Amino acid sequence: MSITYEQGKKPHPNEHRLIFKNVDRRGWNPSIKRYLKEDGYEMLKKALRMDPKDVINEVKTSGLRGRGGAGFPTGIKWGFIPPDNTKPVYLICNCDESEPGTFKDRYIVHQDPHQLIEGMIISAHAVGAHTAYIYIREEFPEAAITLEKAIQEAKENSFLGENILGSGFDLEIYVHRGAAAYICGEETGLIESLEGKRPYPRIKPPYFPAAIGLYMAPTIVNNVESLCHVVHIMRMGGDEYVKLGTPRNSGTRILCVSGDVEKPGYFEVEVGKITFRELLYDMCGGPKDGREFKAVIPGGSSSKILRCNETFKIGRGDDAKDMDFWDIPLDFDTLAAAGSMAGSGGVIVMDDSRRMSWVLNNITHFYAHESCGQCTPCREGSTWMKKVSDRIEGGTATPTDVDTLEQIAYQIDGKTVCAFGEASSWPVEAMIDKFRDELVGETSEDNNFKSKERIEQEKFLSSV
Amino acid sequence: MRPLIVFQPILFFKVSSYPEVPEIPADQNADDSEQPAPPADGINTPLPRPVDRTAVEYLPPTLSVLEQNIHSAKTPGEKFFPSFAVTEGLEEKANERIAQYPEDQKRSAVLPLLHEVQHRFGYISPESIDWVADKLDIEPMKVVEVVTFYPGFRQKAPGKLHIRVCRTLSCAMGGSYELMDKLCEIARIDRNASDPHKDPIAVSPCGNYSVEFAECLASCGTAPVCLVNDDFHEGVTCDKAKELLNSYQNA
Repeated sequence: MSITYEQGKKPHPNEHRLIFKNVDRRGWNPSIKRYLKEDGYEMLKKALRMDPKDVINEVKTSGLRGRGGAGFPTGIKWGFIPPDNTKPVYLICNCDESEPGTFKDRYIVHQDPHQLIEGMIISAHAVGAHTAYIYIREEFPEAAITLEKAIQEAKENSFLGENILGSGFDLEIYVHRGAAAYICGEETGLIESLEGKRPYPRIKPPYFPAAIGLYMAPTIVNNVESLCHVVHIMRMGGDEYVKLGTPRNSGTRILCVSGDVEKPGYFEVEVGKITFRELLYDMCGGPKDGREFKAVIPGGSSSKILRCNETFKIGRGDDAKDMDFWDIPLDFDTLAAAGSMAGSGGVIVMDDSRRMSWVLNNITHFYAHESCGQCTPCREGSTWMKKVSDRIEGGTATPTDVDTLEQIAYQIDGKTVCAFGEASSWPVEAMIDKFRDELVGETSEDNNFKSKERIEQEKFLSSV
Repeated sequence: MRPLIVFQPILFFKVSSYPEVPEIPADQNADDSEQPAPPADGINTPLPRPVDRTAVEYLPPTLSVLEQNIHSAKTPGEKFFPSFAVTEGLEEKANERIAQYPEDQKRSAVLPLLHEVQHRFGYISPESIDWVADKLDIEPMKVVEVVTFYPGFRQKAPGKLHIRVCRTLSCAMGGSYELMDKLCEIARIDRNASDPHKDPIAVSPCGNYSVEFAECLASCGTAPVCLVNDDFHEGVTCDKAKELLNSYQNA
């Protein structure tokens, strides 16, 4: 059966749609009736007949890596639950999509909620969880209603609740709304928030969620996209799924392109099969208004910015080869080798009309606003970075301010409980590293602080 | 003359049993030639002290830190929201939410309950903090710490239409700052009147509109975007601002 899409929303031929198959599809709606028409919940039936261990092994074979940002293998994460565990196990779906530049989960939860719920039931069965929560960000009020309705529908069809489809497996899924805090995207912060506290992340070790998570019980936290992939792994089988993409970077992933391109949007592609050239020129239609691309943030605003005219050394030792920016494939490992990260797949593009100091200022404002305030280096550092970048952007900075900014950023790295300390300092470090000349160019020696006496003195000396 | 505030022993249990918060005039533009102009944003500016300093040697601060943190400043938007009252519907919904969490972990329901309150009454008032704490058998302070942390909870009434404009990178590149300026111009809102860090919500004098900058609303591909109450709007460039507000005229 051929699938038709809404006007102007047709997927690009380079795309390989699994998760986004039903997004913007003509005649599609988020009801269970529509989902069941196309073998919906069939994979759940298949998974319930399997032993949980086999489901985990299937996911391990598939090589699925978490799509939330860190890229940690999902199957291995599931295996971390202590074997002698006696406490209840919890599954949490992280739908606190707040990384600037990322907007993939929005379409899944608004348009295809049953895909997520099916993935969650299969995953809960695999890890032995009987209670699952969807932590959805506050800014998706409509999606929270859609999901609760979908959960109700699934219950009516006996896909949720007690004794699911006669298999003896029980599961309840609840929707928990956050309240607009970026830090809730961090898994231990999310758990604290779910417990009804301020979302101060916990320190790891010992608080690895898989061992000590929600209510001090083993907890698996997975991104929306990762959980949806589980459905497709069950359908294709781990061996078949691993053939998608490139070795160690299997499957498909959704790239969200925003900023200065002709056609911004979301593209589901096989991991590592698409280079920046194909993505930005072929799929997004190139730069706007005949401008030139200047820089790209490849994985949400916390990843390090890349300059478009850079050349990178990829590989180690004798295998090392020079690679132009445009030839870099968007997979986890190559982007890491290029000094950035694939993160959550949010590609933000800037053209030559953008002042880097302005971009930097916008990013530092974001992190200063969103730092949770638990660790001093991040809490104070992010505010300092904001103030210094305010000066650079406003043209009142001295050349040494750029060095000060860099120093502050490096003092945050590795000195905080969670990775969000780095998330705030990496963009600043990279921005200074790549665009130091431009930033210094916006500063002036004249802005050096002078005391009243000094000004009087200079006035006097120059008048003589 | 402003009444002199008499020192009262502080009770550590109930939040709303603190001394009455002095009334702050709602209408800032009232013609008041005899008295000095009232403070611009109520609680952050200390109220003028009584002239006779011999009467009380050391005056207690006008509002304690805790009082400042739970205080709901008066705004013109208040008239559109009912004042906090425990209704049957609220009670029922709250019990439903509490049942979603394990019995010994009722505290988890703090966020859902606060959402229920904010949805019905527009903002989180000191009384509602007490009610949530009572409902969950936890100290009011544990609710206060949540309310004051999350940007998603408001402590003063917004306008009838609360507009949240995304200000993060992609939307800023798409022109969300221009959109905000345009919205402020149409709704006659002065965003510079208060410190955006302490008080991000600016309400129009008529109370119909309020604006706030939000961080990333996760729709960067269709920038600039904004949320009007619970409705999401994408691709709202500044020339569409008027149209956006007009579409709510009949609401």
